[in-house]
Amino acid sequence: MRDELIRRALVSVPQLLLMSFITFMFIDLAPGDILAKYRFDPRISSETVKMIESKYHFDKPIVVQYGHWLWRALHFDLGYSFSREAPVVSVIAERLFNTFLLSILTIIFTWAVAVPLGIYAAVKQYSWGDRILSFFSYFGMSLPGFFLALILMYLIYAGRSIPMLSAIPIGGMISPNYEDLSFWGKIVDRVAHLILPVIVLTIGALAGLQRISRGNMLEELRKQYITTARAKGLPEHKVIYGHALRNAINPLITLFGFEFSSLLSGAALLEIIVNWPGLGSLMLAAVRSQDTFLVMGSMLMGGMMLIAGNLIADILLVIADPRVRSR
Amino acid sequence: MVKKHLSILLLSLAATIFFFGCGSSDNKNSLMASGLDYEALMKQAEAFVPQIGKHGGELILSTFSDPKSFNPITSTENTTTEFTSYIYEGLVKANGVTLKPEPNLAESWDISSDGLVWTFHIRPGVLWSDSTRFSAYDVEFTFNDLVYNKKINPNSSRDVFTVEGEIFDVKALDSQTVQFTLPFPYAPFLRSMYQEILPKHKYEKFVQNGTFSTRLGIQTPPSEMVGTGPFLLQTYISSQKVIFKRNPLYWEKDSAGNSLPYLDRVIYTIVSDQNAELLKFKRGEVDYLQAKGEDFPGLKKDESSGNYTVYRLGPSRSSTFLFFNQNLEKNPKKGDFYVDSTKLSWYRNINFRKAIAHALDKENMIRIVMNGLGYPQWSAMSPSEGEFYTSEVTKYPYDLAKAKKLLEQEGFKDSDGDGYLEDKGGRMVEFSFVTNSGNIVRQKIAEIIRKDLESLGIKVHFQLLEFNSLVQKLDNPPYDWDAVLMGLTGVVDPHFGQNVWLSSGGLHMWYPRQKEPSTPWEAKIDSLFSAGVKELDNEKRKEIYYEWQRIISEQLPLIYTVTPEMIFCISNRFGNINPSLKGGLLHNLEYIYVK
Amino acid sequence: MKFFKENREVQKFLGHPLAVPGLVVLGILYFIMIFAEFIAPYGFDNGSRENSYQPPSRIHFFHDGKFSLQPFVYPWSFTFNEYYERTYIEDKSRPCKLSLFVKGDEVKLWGIIPIKRHLFGIEDRSSRFYLLGADSVGRDLFSRLVYGSRISLTIGFIGVAVTAFLGFFIGGISGYYGGKADWILMRFTECFMLVPSFFLMLALRSAFPMRLSSIQVYILIVAILSLIGWAGFARVIRGMALSISKRDFVTAARALGASGFRIITFHILPQTLSYAIVSMTLSIPAYILGESALSLIGLGIQEPSASWGNMLSAAMNVSDIQYHPWILIPGIFIFLAVMAFNFVGDGLRDALDPNKN
Repeated sequence: MRDELIRRALVSVPQLLLMSFITFMFIDLAPGDILAKYRFDPRISSETVKMIESKYHFDKPIVVQYGHWLWRALHFDLGYSFSREAPVVSVIAERLFNTFLLSILTIIFTWAVAVPLGIYAAVKQYSWGDRILSFFSYFGMSLPGFFLALILMYLIYAGRSIPMLSAIPIGGMISPNYEDLSFWGKIVDRVAHLILPVIVLTIGALAGLQRISRGNMLEELRKQYITTARAKGLPEHKVIYGHALRNAINPLITLFGFEFSSLLSGAALLEIIVNWPGLGSLMLAAVRSQDTFLVMGSMLMGGMMLIAGNLIADILLVIADPRVRSR
Repeated sequence: MVKKHLSILLLSLAATIFFFGCGSSDNKNSLMASGLDYEALMKQAEAFVPQIGKHGGELILSTFSDPKSFNPITSTENTTTEFTSYIYEGLVKANGVTLKPEPNLAESWDISSDGLVWTFHIRPGVLWSDSTRFSAYDVEFTFNDLVYNKKINPNSSRDVFTVEGEIFDVKALDSQTVQFTLPFPYAPFLRSMYQEILPKHKYEKFVQNGTFSTRLGIQTPPSEMVGTGPFLLQTYISSQKVIFKRNPLYWEKDSAGNSLPYLDRVIYTIVSDQNAELLKFKRGEVDYLQAKGEDFPGLKKDESSGNYTVYRLGPSRSSTFLFFNQNLEKNPKKGDFYVDSTKLSWYRNINFRKAIAHALDKENMIRIVMNGLGYPQWSAMSPSEGEFYTSEVTKYPYDLAKAKKLLEQEGFKDSDGDGYLEDKGGRMVEFSFVTNSGNIVRQKIAEIIRKDLESLGIKVHFQLLEFNSLVQKLDNPPYDWDAVLMGLTGVVDPHFGQNVWLSSGGLHMWYPRQKEPSTPWEAKIDSLFSAGVKELDNEKRKEIYYEWQRIISEQLPLIYTVTPEMIFCISNRFGNINPSLKGGLLHNLEYIYVK
Repeated sequence: MKFFKENREVQKFLGHPLAVPGLVVLGILYFIMIFAEFIAPYGFDNGSRENSYQPPSRIHFFHDGKFSLQPFVYPWSFTFNEYYERTYIEDKSRPCKLSLFVKGDEVKLWGIIPIKRHLFGIEDRSSRFYLLGADSVGRDLFSRLVYGSRISLTIGFIGVAVTAFLGFFIGGISGYYGGKADWILMRFTECFMLVPSFFLMLALRSAFPMRLSSIQVYILIVAILSLIGWAGFARVIRGMALSISKRDFVTAARALGASGFRIITFHILPQTLSYAIVSMTLSIPAYILGESALSLIGLGIQEPSASWGNMLSAAMNVSDIQYHPWILIPGIFIFLAVMAFNFVGDGLRDALDPNKN
């Protein structure tokens, strides 16, 4: 098992390399000029622009540029971000934690809600409860996340006379007076700002997971060993939770890794609307301003987060399911 | 207090009365067009005397982008200069109401009779925020070691202070006097002295070890930013906020001798989305907002319940214009023009451009895109930019029939009945029309233009492009574009925008970096600008720039559309708010206090 | 009929709580899409600037106190009040009759058949009937929704077809041949999964030139969206192909001398069909949503063409919610279509899943 994991980790290196190379090509081939804003500024002379160009080798062929980037990347120097006028590493580092926090919380809430709902739906298949649950969980999946976010933001504003609602911040990560708050005040403030984005993301991710856990539970419940357990007189709740659930969970764990990736992607637009400073909105902004080094750096980060997510999922799987171990 | 309420009452009365009176009239003072009495507003602003306020409190603003750096010399972003202007000041500053230069760090100045030698007398007693005395040596240092330092890049100030390749001679005569010797009379000189002055004692070592370009970035500890300005940086939290705190050593005092500014802090909340910003303002999370026309009704109606006031302050400085590719550059490899020569013949045809100008439905652009709160723009400058603006330029009312006739005159007609025009040679009039994505207002204006061009019989391919991609196309061979809708923010002194108007300029968008002016009128504009920069008689200078605006309206290299109304909202908690058409609401920030 | 009653799969499909309503909704949407030119009273680019942001037309049955069997509307105009709010005024002197099968603009059904009559509308051309209100330049929202459905509802199918092709091709080869080919292909597939999809979408879109016609943009968007989705599908097909390859009938086919290509295409892939159908139905929503995301950042279908995505993205602001909420209706249509596809997909899965007995 360990060997498999190590092999997987090693394989991901050339994969990342290939992906980074392809990405680099695309960015470079794209029409557009990373130094556009310098050229467009009436106060900057063209000599200045030329100097910047040669410093970052923008005037050399693509492969050479990639080589330079790779060499620096191996030294943990991901280059300089032109759109933010700061080193790429520092720009990403700030965002990484924020995205992580948002992703973890979303995953926790999604699981905490979706799995029980899935179990309920499976146990009471085709009942009205199942139908209603189906309907509501699909609801979340069917609205574009950014649209839902805007509507929620507006509703929070419209309901500002209701004390509960007026306490929920619209966007941002911390309040303007964050510094003045007590230690606990700061924690409460951060949590309050997380409410809106986590709700929107959870609603979006809920349905998929609920549906799959429902499906898996149904499958498990049909199996022989369940009938046997019931025949043996085991109480129903032990049958469901002690046996069926444990097996139904397995496929869900493998999804864990993909959740990271999809949270990174799906969250980009949402992050912009609720002003959550995460990796998603950073990548979007970077691609739009064709900030080559920032794009490369964030893409690398995204890829690494996905690999980490997959590996964690595999480890969890090994812990949860002894069958996987013996291979 | 009463005075303020009275003035608001007067304004609203004036608004209601004038609403029915004025339509889209074409007064000499186009500020009357949308029914508010701006004359009264300006008089009131000029007569305003700040009250004695009290210390304390904070003002919460919002901004869309993070500061990219805190270095006023190397930075190119407008947001950065907005932030650094809290900390660093110039010898001279612009009066918030009249936009005229007035004494700041310099108390007074003498000009030699030939206008070439300027001697500034430094205001005594000014201290840097670390208690060091401010002196003329700091000014000398700023210019000789920072602005003119070739090793510091990028350096927007250097390009501003280098005129026709020559630099100014800057010398500190003593600790309180600094002298500038210009190579030739430079009319915009006084306005250019808004240039931020940086402390010699603090930054000299960075210049000596060659690291200045990388200094004062966003990671800099606030204590490193030593300035003379009213506020100092307290904290910067990336993508969240920028906090400025009062500078206790700031030199300016109110009429009772209290030290300014009154506010303890100014906090910028960084928002990424206009909706979020609007909702935050309405909920009171943010104190100040610059709003769009379509948000005006919702904001205005909730004024009393939200405890804020909405001000309309006339046409803004941002312009939106349409232009065509007139580039005559030739491809050295192939020998012919980069741009398709048939299309070039259309775009370089003045009557073609005039026809297009008549096809701009400005009234509906204002009504639909700006919710009625905007102004048609005819001139290359906006009235809010001050004295160099003239409204006496050629205007092109919306008239599709006239546009069609003009085109017919030039041989454009629908000869094959397919609904589209063909030119004299039978080629269908068809081109791409691009604007940058991310600007909803511009997109909506583009949509209206596209539809009108279609009804003229022109086949238009509308496309949105990322800003960077668009600029790259405009700026580089093969100049693969036809018609573009873009915008710029205006400048008070036309000279500072010369890169757009000089035929050799890099921002001469329809045909940049010409080796020689390609038309007589472009040559005329070149000569106007080179005369204007040296003309010291202000009245004569105004005439020069009036003529430039007239030529632009005649020749239409840029066809202007509409400009939005400036709508500012601020919480009623603040006193000493003096709304000004040219300065907005926060031009006298040092005097603003929490009531 | 007997087929429908007795077929086991159909029964299971019908048993699913929401599959049937989903199918009905899709049926309606696709019907509207097919007959767009007939159903829409106006074209997708027919603006009328005086009617900017007009609310949905009010239908009246009483004019001057007299009842009229045929419903009618009054022409509207608007002015700005002191708050610059639009105040709409009905011109009660000119009733315009609303009728079915009315003569309107001449359009060509499917671009070929010229028709003059539309499902409903106003005979009197001087005024307009806005069923769901008008947008900023006075275009009929309902007409634009109808024409927009052509883009939004077809993007999914074509995209899914491309994904399926790639998935079957690579997954099939990988699973059947195994070994080194499998290893290389799977690692290659994983590369695509490594990059977050949205980002890949952006990078691809920005790599393409600007002078694209609407059709080209459409194809480009479809291609990009399918390049994102194929990897996951390919992996599953590969897994299935791997296990199916070990079955007897495949060994038999090989022994009989069938070529790899033949075996994959005619023996292995058909076994994956039920999974494939379900998977494809369930991934169509991603295309519809992806198209709206691209429009939000300005890289989607361009004006004046209408797609539900670009209509929604133009409506994403607070003033619209407050003052002209009908602009947000495209969001509801997206929602309906996506929900419907999900229900149908689920129903199909219940019906076709070989694991269920």
